[in-house]
Amino acid sequence: MLGLLLETKFQVPRRRPGLATRARLIERLSRGADSTLTLVSAPAGFGKTTLLTEWLAIVSANGWSAAWLSLEKRDNDSALFWAYFVTALKRASSGVGAAALSLLQSAQPPIEALLATLLNDLHAVPNDVVLVLDDYHVIDAPDVQEGIAYLVEHLPPQVHLVIASRADPVLPLARLRARGELFEIRAADLRFTADEAEAYLNGSMGLELTGRDVAALEDRTEGWIVALQLAALSMQGREDVAAFIAGFAGDDRYIVDYLAEEVLQRQPEDVQHFLFRTSILDRLSGPLCDAVTGQDNGKLRLAALERANLFLVPLDDRRHWYRYHQLFADVLQARLVEERGDELPGLHRRASIWYEQNGEAFDAIRHALAGEDFERAADLIELAVPDIRRNRQEALLRGWLKVLPYDVVRVRPVLGVGLVGALVVCGDVEGVEARLRDVERWLDPPTGVGKEIQGRATEMVVADDEEFRRLPATIEVYRAALALGRGDGPGTVSHAQRALDLAPEDDHVGRAAASGLLGLAYWGRGQLEAAHRGYDECMAGLHRAGHLADTLGCAIALADIRLAQGRLTDAMDTYEQALRGASGRRGSVVRGESDMYVGMSGVCRERGDQQEAIRLLAHSQELGPLGGLPQNLYRWRVAMARILEGEGDLAGALDLLAEAERLYVGDYFPNVRPVPALRARIQVAQGRLGEALGWVRERGLSVDDDLSYLREFEHITLARVLLARYAKEGSAPSLQEAIRLLGRLLRAADDGGRTGSVIEILVLQALADQTRGDIPASLASLRRAVALSEPEGYVRIFADEGAPMVSLLRAAVNQRIAPGYLRRLMTFMNNAEVTAPVSGGLIEPLSKRELDVLQLLGTDLDGPDIARALVVSLNTVRTHTRHIYAKLGVNDRRGAVRQGKELDLFSRDSDR
Amino acid sequence: MRDRPIRQHRDSGWYEVRIEGHLDSRWAAWFDALSLTKESDGTTVFRTQVADQAALYGLLQKVRDIGLPLLSVAQVEAGKPGPTTKPQS
Repeated sequence: MLGLLLETKFQVPRRRPGLATRARLIERLSRGADSTLTLVSAPAGFGKTTLLTEWLAIVSANGWSAAWLSLEKRDNDSALFWAYFVTALKRASSGVGAAALSLLQSAQPPIEALLATLLNDLHAVPNDVVLVLDDYHVIDAPDVQEGIAYLVEHLPPQVHLVIASRADPVLPLARLRARGELFEIRAADLRFTADEAEAYLNGSMGLELTGRDVAALEDRTEGWIVALQLAALSMQGREDVAAFIAGFAGDDRYIVDYLAEEVLQRQPEDVQHFLFRTSILDRLSGPLCDAVTGQDNGKLRLAALERANLFLVPLDDRRHWYRYHQLFADVLQARLVEERGDELPGLHRRASIWYEQNGEAFDAIRHALAGEDFERAADLIELAVPDIRRNRQEALLRGWLKVLPYDVVRVRPVLGVGLVGALVVCGDVEGVEARLRDVERWLDPPTGVGKEIQGRATEMVVADDEEFRRLPATIEVYRAALALGRGDGPGTVSHAQRALDLAPEDDHVGRAAASGLLGLAYWGRGQLEAAHRGYDECMAGLHRAGHLADTLGCAIALADIRLAQGRLTDAMDTYEQALRGASGRRGSVVRGESDMYVGMSGVCRERGDQQEAIRLLAHSQELGPLGGLPQNLYRWRVAMARILEGEGDLAGALDLLAEAERLYVGDYFPNVRPVPALRARIQVAQGRLGEALGWVRERGLSVDDDLSYLREFEHITLARVLLARYAKEGSAPSLQEAIRLLGRLLRAADDGGRTGSVIEILVLQALADQTRGDIPASLASLRRAVALSEPEGYVRIFADEGAPMVSLLRAAVNQRIAPGYLRRLMTFMNNAEVTAPVSGGLIEPLSKRELDVLQLLGTDLDGPDIARALVVSLNTVRTHTRHIYAKLGVNDRRGAVRQGKELDLFSRDSDR
Repeated sequence: MRDRPIRQHRDSGWYEVRIEGHLDSRWAAWFDALSLTKESDGTTVFRTQVADQAALYGLLQKVRDIGLPLLSVAQVEAGKPGPTTKPQS
């Protein structure tokens, strides 16, 4: 996508020579420049672009960072528009937009998240930044307009947006005006005053007109600048200037018509022909003009037209590309359509062929459509489909196919399936199956392969034989994708399987897509081994096709699956192998490398190697935004949040999780560890039980839910919330519910081979049984958890449980359960407590009331005294005391005081 | 995709557009109009058939882009002399 950005659109247009400066307006602009939004709104030919060009040079000299973006009709694609927008800002201010550009790489870029990160970056910009959006009137896509409106509402004061447009943009202008956040320059401001007209005509253009003549011109043109320019051009070198002005002033024809006619008539006939024929072009270059006109002097002509000020605007410094001033082009085209309409198809066809030969498929298609050469357009579109798919520009494809007559598409199976692909990606799946069946009629019975354009309308047309050969498999891949979208797992599997049966051996991308869909379907259903096989084959296919970044995307899935299976070593191997497969190519970063380091960091963290985990995350960040797949933005934050959590910085962890939630991009992966569930776990650790329970309600979770892999993480979190509730409120039903839920979860996880979940569930069961005093049951669960986790080197899954786990581990060591491993765990926990004294060692911090009680336990007061001091019943004191013992992992008052001192709980303010 | 004939909706059909100034008849093809009429009050009127609202807005953008003030747009019945409703000016 980013490779397709046109350099010329970022260039501040060159000022045409001979234009008057607009001191009056520059001064106004400078006064209004502090506003968030400056709107320059006026019809064509009022000098909007020229004025802003002049002003931008001045503010740049004053230390502002300035960016320019010339918009075109085709920028109405949301992803493309924001790619240009962010890139323009990034050029002005290098610290801006890296994360936003990375988000744009996903299949359906989350625009809200993109704007949020962009605003974040902009808030940090130290100096003033101004971005000019020129020709904004071409933008009519509602989602783009909404994005701009959102941005305008939230821009920091040092960032200024300037919109130049022929029509007022769809923004809450009245509100912005009322708040003084909008500065406007409109047609009435832009018109040349009598003085400016005089200065321009007699000064810049050197025409030596009388005051009356100037007044007559100013009156007739009403200060419309393009008209004055045309008039000046008509008068240059003319003997009878007074007569010209009299004739012009006395004529009531459309002023541009009249003057353009005057200007054209003064050109030799061959120049006129050149102007008419090239007026169909959005952009002009010498070779393109030659192709369209059938002559060979295009480059010289363009240079001569520019010198003669014939409304030719250079688009680059090298004088390679130009465009006509739009008003002038309209006049030329209107005359072309009227007088030589029969030439139009030929002109467009030649332009289309030139673009095709120069590898610009999209422009070739545009001209074929404009010339209504639908057969040619259909051929070109069909051949462009693979590129469109790779660049994820399906919206463009849909737009073209709306213009093509159905009869042309109907006989083209490859094009028809291309359209289906575009519809599926855009989420518009209604009627798609019927289209697929239409296409299949061409395949069954199989007809001859080949290009049969000249035949009757009922004959099939194929431009891309390669794609045609792959069509039966492609159709099944889309059916599998449709099934997956419906949540139809078995359907996904059967269609993907059929696609694999039908796909030719060399259709690596098609086979990979089918295998990936198989993997996704099995993964979502918790069939991890089958999912792993699917992704493995997908990865191999993508590797053969050379799609390196996508192979790394597969590695994320493969490692995620291994982690769910409790196979830390295999997950680590997956990351490392994927890195080896991607590196060694030109030494440049492959997109997705960052994701591998984030994954490796997670494994290191789980194994208790905090330093290495942090180092890997830092390394991932050093690779820069281009090293990460779209998912990496949120995954990195989740990984860092867990590290902060381990260090006891729970508030910091929550901040990162909030960012992660905003930046979440699933890219079709099942969301098996939702960020809100991670947040609820931290809330539990903070003792913010009410908020965690709020999450439970919001998600509609209950212990009697049907269990599925997709909700497993949420259900385990629910068990944690229930256990915390019991610890805090002593409500027996919570404990019983938690135990019942854990029992069901354990069976489901065992059945699915999800050892990662099994270990966590066993740990929670051990803690729950410990709480209710059933030590033998507790140790039985722990014994099994230890047996599963020792070979993989798990540490955190135990250590994060804090003090209750310490006492449990001690008891286990006494029972000679894996003493070496458990001692290592205990040593780790002791050391961790040293570095994280506050809550790092506690599964759940003491509540404020419990801290009060603990303070008094450190005194000589007895139970009834404490109850009196706190104005509560003795029973309440006992409940608090029991909770304190449980949380601190001790059995008596002396232990509690000692542990409390170790954890620094006595020196802290009691209001924490 | 144009796989159905254009149905007659309220939003399709003939429109009459009036702009200020005298526009040469050669612009008729540009606006897809059968003819342009220059009126004695210094305005120009033309009629054109549009497929739907999107086409109508496309036409209005063309009017905007030549820079002549737009005076009125009104839906008319084909072949009838005046607008079906009074133009908003």
